Amino acid sequence: MTDTRILLVEDDPSIREVTAIGLGAAGFTVTTSSDGVEGLERFKADPFDLVLLDVMLPRLDGYEVCRQIRKSSTVPVVMLTARADTMDVVVGLEAGADDYVRKPFEVPELIARIRAALRRAGGSAGETNELSLGPIEIDVAGRVASRAGQPITLTRTEFDLLLELVRHAGQVLTRDTLLDRVWGYDYLGDSRLVDVAIQRLRAKIEADPAAPELIQTVRGAGYKAVR
Amino acid sequence: MIRGVRARLTATIVALVVVTAAVLGLAASLFVDARLHQQALDDARDQARFDLSVLAPSILDDPPTPEKLADLAAAFKFRGLQSIIVPVGGVPSYDPTTLQGTFETLPASVRRFVADGQVAYSWQDVEGTPSLIIGGRAGGTGPEIYLIRDVGGIELALGQLRLALAIGALVAVILAVVAARVVARGVLAPVDEASQAAQRIERGDLSARVPVTSDDEFGVWADRFNRMADSLEDTILRLEAAQAQNRRFVADVSHELRTPVTALVAEASLLRDHLGALPPAARRTGELVIQDIGRMRDLVEDLMELSRFDAAGEEVRLQPVDLGRVIRGVAAARHPDAALELPDDRVVIDSEPRRLERILANLLDNAREHAPGALVVVRLRATADEVAVAVLDRGPGVPPDRLERIFERFYMADPSRRGGSGLGLAIAAENAALLGGDLLARNRSGGGLEIQLRLPVTQPLPDGDRTAIHEDEGDDR
Repeated sequence: MTDTRILLVEDDPSIREVTAIGLGAAGFTVTTSSDGVEGLERFKADPFDLVLLDVMLPRLDGYEVCRQIRKSSTVPVVMLTARADTMDVVVGLEAGADDYVRKPFEVPELIARIRAALRRAGGSAGETNELSLGPIEIDVAGRVASRAGQPITLTRTEFDLLLELVRHAGQVLTRDTLLDRVWGYDYLGDSRLVDVAIQRLRAKIEADPAAPELIQTVRGAGYKAVR
Repeated sequence: MIRGVRARLTATIVALVVVTAAVLGLAASLFVDARLHQQALDDARDQARFDLSVLAPSILDDPPTPEKLADLAAAFKFRGLQSIIVPVGGVPSYDPTTLQGTFETLPASVRRFVADGQVAYSWQDVEGTPSLIIGGRAGGTGPEIYLIRDVGGIELALGQLRLALAIGALVAVILAVVAARVVARGVLAPVDEASQAAQRIERGDLSARVPVTSDDEFGVWADRFNRMADSLEDTILRLEAAQAQNRRFVADVSHELRTPVTALVAEASLLRDHLGALPPAARRTGELVIQDIGRMRDLVEDLMELSRFDAAGEEVRLQPVDLGRVIRGVAAARHPDAALELPDDRVVIDSEPRRLERILANLLDNAREHAPGALVVVRLRATADEVAVAVLDRGPGVPPDRLERIFERFYMADPSRRGGSGLGLAIAAENAALLGGDLLARNRSGGGLEIQLRLPVTQPLPDGDRTAIHEDEGDDR
């Protein structure tokens, strides 16, 4: 982690500067950009370990930048949203973001979230076993899920969520448990993250996402994968 | 009201017609009655004079023999008259003989006048027939002769007259009712129209007006009404515009403040790590800066949240919530010393955890603010109809007349105390309303304040946490 490179795209100079200072002090190498188009160019020019994206950006907004990044990369993306409204969260996650941090934020809090996202992206080294969920086969070491030999494109978060559910197949996992284990949150995290991610995961692995069979909702409790 | 006026108008007109018809009918029938009786009496009296002074003396001899008396009775009978003839000092003879009873019912005054040689009469029933009995002495001193005339014709005529009058009165009343309705409708039509216009205005259609169709008092009135509605519409639109502008201003201000506040919060969080490196005087200033940035952040976030409520852009996404779990979580984060009184069974309702957390956090902050160091209790109670979470403190409480006001924005029960944004309880109340519940404040016996969050029960309790497998949460949220 000595040279973890972060791309920060934020239009407000003060927020951009103080965030860069804080992340730099925490040992990250920070590249900054002040608008969406420029940010995307920077991302394409150099490799990054994580992208921090403001939502309200000149020229190209954060959601669109995220969508463009997702076309070619599974790099962890954390959105900085001015509002934590349902729409903002859902749109951000659907654009492929892994997490969001609500403005205003304290720098240590932001750093904790960045580290959590990086940890997930780093994978769980040492595990080599193969798991399966119905027709879905999961290569834990290779971090690939596939159906009948065809790989399914999952984001890191979706893969981690799937892995967590399958490891505890038949067991009900509450939203808070999933938040804690997959996103690395304490209690006051937002359980909508889980719901949106589950919906996206179902859309990719279920035969009929409207009548899910592999990942089931346990009303009032949480979710579980079938054994 | 309109129906009342209509009924009163109808009743008044009908009453007038009824009284008029009754007075006219009664007068007419009394007049005709008197005239007919007088006519009959005059005829009978003229006839009796002739009979007593000319006819009877010409037939009777002196003293009259029974044969002559019978001849006289026959002469009367020939003219359709019944008669009673009483010879002087003799026995009365009756023609027909059934008149004996009638003779005894003759008024004493009539007998006395006749005995004195005068002509006297009496109206009375003779065997059920209305009759005129007229009596006198033949030739002034001869036998007493009573002649009985059938006057049933008069009563019959009067009866027909009364029937005709009654039918006439009935027709008049019916006409009066119809006329009253027509008049009432005409008079009240403008009132109906105005009433409809007022109702539309009441329902929020400020453009409703009354048609001005005449130059009379109603026309003037309709014009006044319309001018009033114009001015009302004007005022309300102006007020609404001003209010919308105010809200937009607050929303804009808090939104504009957010960017610098975000920078400040981030900067303060970095500064905090370096406070120790500052000289003592600067260190204290730095601490105050960090603390005040925190206060400003709270205020701006609260303002933004309220602006969203005002813009009515808030939506609620219900999901099953274990209330005890939410309470434990919020208490641990906001007020770890609070005593929790939770039922043994889980209490699960359809609600939104984020808003519940927000409400409870604000209530706990409020309790800590006003009763520092005192015991705070969070109590969860559930019945079949209602779930209530109460936060109880042992602070100074609130004067009873201000209890309702503590949920107003920027309302401070104790103006000398300045912690928090002054918006916490207002935000809690808005969130509670959005969840279909409300907040209720009351002073506790023994001192302190209790604020109760009441929530609707949307699924069976207390074992409402039924497991429903094969149910997609995406459908019911």
